[in-house]
Amino acid sequence: MHSQTRDYFPYVGPFDPCPPIRVKTYQVPPQLFMTFQPENLPQYSPMEALKLGTLWPALFSPYDPRLSHLGRGGT
Amino acid sequence: MTAENRFGDEQYYALLEQLQAIDFVLVELNLFLDTHPTDQNALQQFNDLTEQRWVLANEYEKLYGPLQNLGRSYSGYPWQWNDDPWPWQV
Repeated sequence: MHSQTRDYFPYVGPFDPCPPIRVKTYQVPPQLFMTFQPENLPQYSPMEALKLGTLWPALFSPYDPRLSHLGRGGT
Repeated sequence: MTAENRFGDEQYYALLEQLQAIDFVLVELNLFLDTHPTDQNALQQFNDLTEQRWVLANEYEKLYGPLQNLGRSYSGYPWQWNDDPWPWQV
């Protein structure tokens, strides 16, 4: 299951006034790849759905913000 | 009538969490059915869960008083709606 985080590398110029942000990340949750939700997708139990924020595993997105700190001067 | 039910005992929070979980699934199914009106399985599941939600809410209200007001919940005697705890105190 590929991660739902992608990254890109902003241009870093010699005259940038601030320390460069070399890597920036963005999320690609599953709904971007699902035009119309099919019927009868497998479901989580109510308790799991409440915790995970969706009823359908196919649409679950971990949204892991920790990865975005890479952008702060990370290489 | 069961023994005096203390607010904040495990059953209190267990019932509330189950109600919260069912309500969340009902929201998801409701939104899904908005765009899939002909999905019989989802509709059947929605109606089943609605029935379950009524049963669960009634069970809670028998023990701990009304969940809602303005005629959406019964109240015991004396009037219970403005008793503690309020939702933000739970």
